[in-house]
Amino acid sequence: MKRVLFWLAIVIMLIMFVFPILWVYITSFKSPDDIFQADKIFFVPTFFNYQFLVETRPSLGQLWNSAILAVCSTVLVMIVAMPAAYSFARFNTGKGHLLFVTISTRMFPGVVAALPFFLVFRSLGLLDTHFGVILLYFYFNMSFATFLLYGFFKEIPVELEHAAMVDGYDRFSILGKVVFPLIKPGAAITAVFCLIWSWNEFFYAFLFTRRVAVPVSVGLSNFWGALQVQWGPMAALMGIAILPTLAAAWFMQRYIVRGLTFGAVKG
Amino acid sequence: MAETVLPEKTLPVSKKRGSKIRAKLETEAYFKWLLIIPLLLALVVFMLYPTFYCIFMGFTDYILRDAPNFVGFDNYRKILHDSVFWSAAGRTSLMVVTCIIVEITLGMSIAILLNREFKGQNVIRGLCFLPLLIMPLAMSMFWNYMLHAQFGIVNQILDWFGFDKILFFGKAKYALYTIMAIEIWRWLPFSIFVLLAGLKGLPKDQFEAANVDGASAWYKFRTLTLPMLKPLIIIIILLRTMWLIRTFDPLYGTTRAGNSTELLDWMVYRVSFVFFDIGQGSALAIFSLFVTIIICAILYRSLIKAMDQGH
Repeated sequence: MKRVLFWLAIVIMLIMFVFPILWVYITSFKSPDDIFQADKIFFVPTFFNYQFLVETRPSLGQLWNSAILAVCSTVLVMIVAMPAAYSFARFNTGKGHLLFVTISTRMFPGVVAALPFFLVFRSLGLLDTHFGVILLYFYFNMSFATFLLYGFFKEIPVELEHAAMVDGYDRFSILGKVVFPLIKPGAAITAVFCLIWSWNEFFYAFLFTRRVAVPVSVGLSNFWGALQVQWGPMAALMGIAILPTLAAAWFMQRYIVRGLTFGAVKG
Repeated sequence: MAETVLPEKTLPVSKKRGSKIRAKLETEAYFKWLLIIPLLLALVVFMLYPTFYCIFMGFTDYILRDAPNFVGFDNYRKILHDSVFWSAAGRTSLMVVTCIIVEITLGMSIAILLNREFKGQNVIRGLCFLPLLIMPLAMSMFWNYMLHAQFGIVNQILDWFGFDKILFFGKAKYALYTIMAIEIWRWLPFSIFVLLAGLKGLPKDQFEAANVDGASAWYKFRTLTLPMLKPLIIIIILLRTMWLIRTFDPLYGTTRAGNSTELLDWMVYRVSFVFFDIGQGSALAIFSLFVTIIICAILYRSLIKAMDQGH
């Protein structure tokens, strides 16, 4: 009896979490008429929505934009965050205060930064450019990446570096030959998180892009037309847009808790 | 922390490429700051500048195109006398409190349920993680479809079981709670797995001692589990408060702040980017930042305290 209840609870929980996501994919294969009939469980699947996306919407370009923005901003973040995190972890630079200042950027309401940036970007001509959005994504991932990497660097035993020093390596070769190979897994996890946050970002993209640099999140919101919502193609684009993050959620299970808590909880 | 700092004399000076500059860079004091320079620059540009800009503009009546005039605390006075602001702030607090309470109670129950070995646990865990990393805007737009009054699947299911259809977003009474439910759906796995990580790491011996004494499950939970998990619970509250105060995407994907669902962040957005009232918007942003920092500082201190007690 206890077993039955246990599995019943598990099943209910799984339905709650998985069904909405499953429904995205089911909806994306419905024809325009079937979309408006929720009671129709059996329907003839069609690729109409996907075809519609490719033929009449700029969605492929938006997906490409999202990929460019995510990858470039992540590279930039890693270039800045890796040395900084190493410095925090190994030398306790700034006695913890600086690290706290860094992390507190994540507490900022996005709008606090959005307003000044908008005005500066306007005068610099950076609105609706890839570079502008990359800078913004760099801004909101920077502190997160530094903090997460800080935890990973802390786990590298300092004795290894001492040994390398005794062997006559200088600081730069220690970084390249000893520290970097050990931090690779941690850096990869951090990078994947930055990629996901940038990919999912909507607020800044919505404010700072119009036509050229529009990522898929803003593209999705454009399906909400003045007259009607194109649910079918929207579901199709959603299905594509959430696929990378679903894959990441599945493959990074061991690190999700750690990543989301800024490294505070090692799940 | 102290043992990780290398004593300066052990630093070997590289003989191969031993230029003076390089040798200087390799002394610790220079080296650690050299590594951190890019981050410091980024902090100044991306954090100090916007903050001070907002603080400054908050004292002016700047609306795009007109020159800003200094108006002192007028903007803040206006905010405090604005009933729209107070209802947005009230709704935001209601949302923060409700979501966190539901997430922690439900999360704790499910974590306790999952805290055992069973068949297929890895697959089930993986499936539960799926909502966490999904694009929030996409999922809230899709919930809008699923909860639609006429052709939403949720109302259809209610219909099959003989219930009346619910206007989830149509009625002011339900709209905010529907948005909360969407937030909870997305973030419940977070609470579950943070707490589960805590439950798995609990020391066994105290529980065995309590078992020998014949303590009830509830007594063990209250006196052993809960105090030991306190730091984790505070971490969840801290992070979720930070994120919930800034709820924007779920609003955009559903009601667009209609039907009395306007939250604080949306109001800042509306004032600054729809009305372009930079002065008022900055004041609101600074206010929201101020409140966030106070709440987080309090939670952070209690976290440090709870962690000290744990050791």
